[in-house]
Amino acid sequence: MKSRLLNVLAMAMLLAISAQAHHSFTMFDTSKSVTLIGTVTSFEWTNPHSYIEIDVEEGGAVKHWSIEMGSPSILQQSGWKFSSLKKGDKTTLVINPLKDGRAGGFLNTATLPTGKVLGNGPGRGPAK
Amino acid sequence: MDLKKDLKKILYAGLALATLLPFGWAQSAKTPDFTGVWGTFKGGKGPNAKFAAPPAGQLVIKPEYAKPYEARRAKEAEANQRGEQLANSGAQCVPYGVPTMMSVAVYPVEMVQTPKQLTIVSEAFSEVRRVYLDRPQLPLDEVPPGYYGRSVGHWEGDTLVVDTIGIKTSVNGYRGMPHSEQMHITERMQLVTPDVLHDQITIDDPVVLEKPMVYTLAYQRLPNYEMVEFVCDNNREFIDEKGVVRMKVKDK
Repeated sequence: MKSRLLNVLAMAMLLAISAQAHHSFTMFDTSKSVTLIGTVTSFEWTNPHSYIEIDVEEGGAVKHWSIEMGSPSILQQSGWKFSSLKKGDKTTLVINPLKDGRAGGFLNTATLPTGKVLGNGPGRGPAK
Repeated sequence: MDLKKDLKKILYAGLALATLLPFGWAQSAKTPDFTGVWGTFKGGKGPNAKFAAPPAGQLVIKPEYAKPYEARRAKEAEANQRGEQLANSGAQCVPYGVPTMMSVAVYPVEMVQTPKQLTIVSEAFSEVRRVYLDRPQLPLDEVPPGYYGRSVGHWEGDTLVVDTIGIKTSVNGYRGMPHSEQMHITERMQLVTPDVLHDQITIDDPVVLEKPMVYTLAYQRLPNYEMVEFVCDNNREFIDEKGVVRMKVKDK
């Protein structure tokens, strides 16, 4: 409960500072948190956003998800590197899904193969 | 007789040098150097609170321009309530231009100063503006309208006064405010401490604004920061048929 509240607060802060950022985050449902356990098909260290493409097994079938992150400049402030993930890595992602129901979302936390847990820029996810 | 004249000339030349040179040295020794990378000032509380930016002035738009502006703001707020974002230039990777590029979210700006030019690079979208320090401003009808217009600057004591004209009307001003081709921006840049820079921005537009809009940006020096590359080549946001910003998802 407490972490949920913190998440909401963090999101509010992010929204406040992102007034001039690339886009707002209203397309994501911040009241919902989905955990994806799967295999990275690509990790795109790009602008204006970075992305984790991931295959998730669901009842024998594989569902593909596109997960948006901050930009490299913002991600590096919470410990990310261009090499933090690579194709084939097993990872666990906690995300806020797209409101429109398509298989996409905004990253909250990622557990790297090393066990390290990273957030999505300052103010989102665990402290550095 | 000629010798006397020559001596006089040499004496005058010497005197001129003696007065000019130290002046020049004093100027260059005293001229602040903004070179470096600057991030948003974060010390707004505690002992450094006095270095925070003063509150922004009031944005007063003339009624005929205020109406559509307010209507747009209301529509945006409404869409936000519904959980949607209306199309904006940023979501389409269009550069912000002057003055917005000076404060894009938490992205830093890098300044490179020489006696003749101050170059400002914003990390977000790698935007560049050049402030010429050794020449006058041109008449407005000689500046092609663009994102950065034309900027010239001169020193008033420790303050660099920057004059910008020629921002095209599709480039948003302060908080998306509309403006005419006559928008005129005056910036007063000053180091309030060696590591805190203030940029007081005054937007004047006799066509659109009732009075000039004044606000200040406060920056702090980021001593060892290396600017991050920012090329907008993976923009997955798109504008749908309703004018709403959405994200492309990849099919496997």
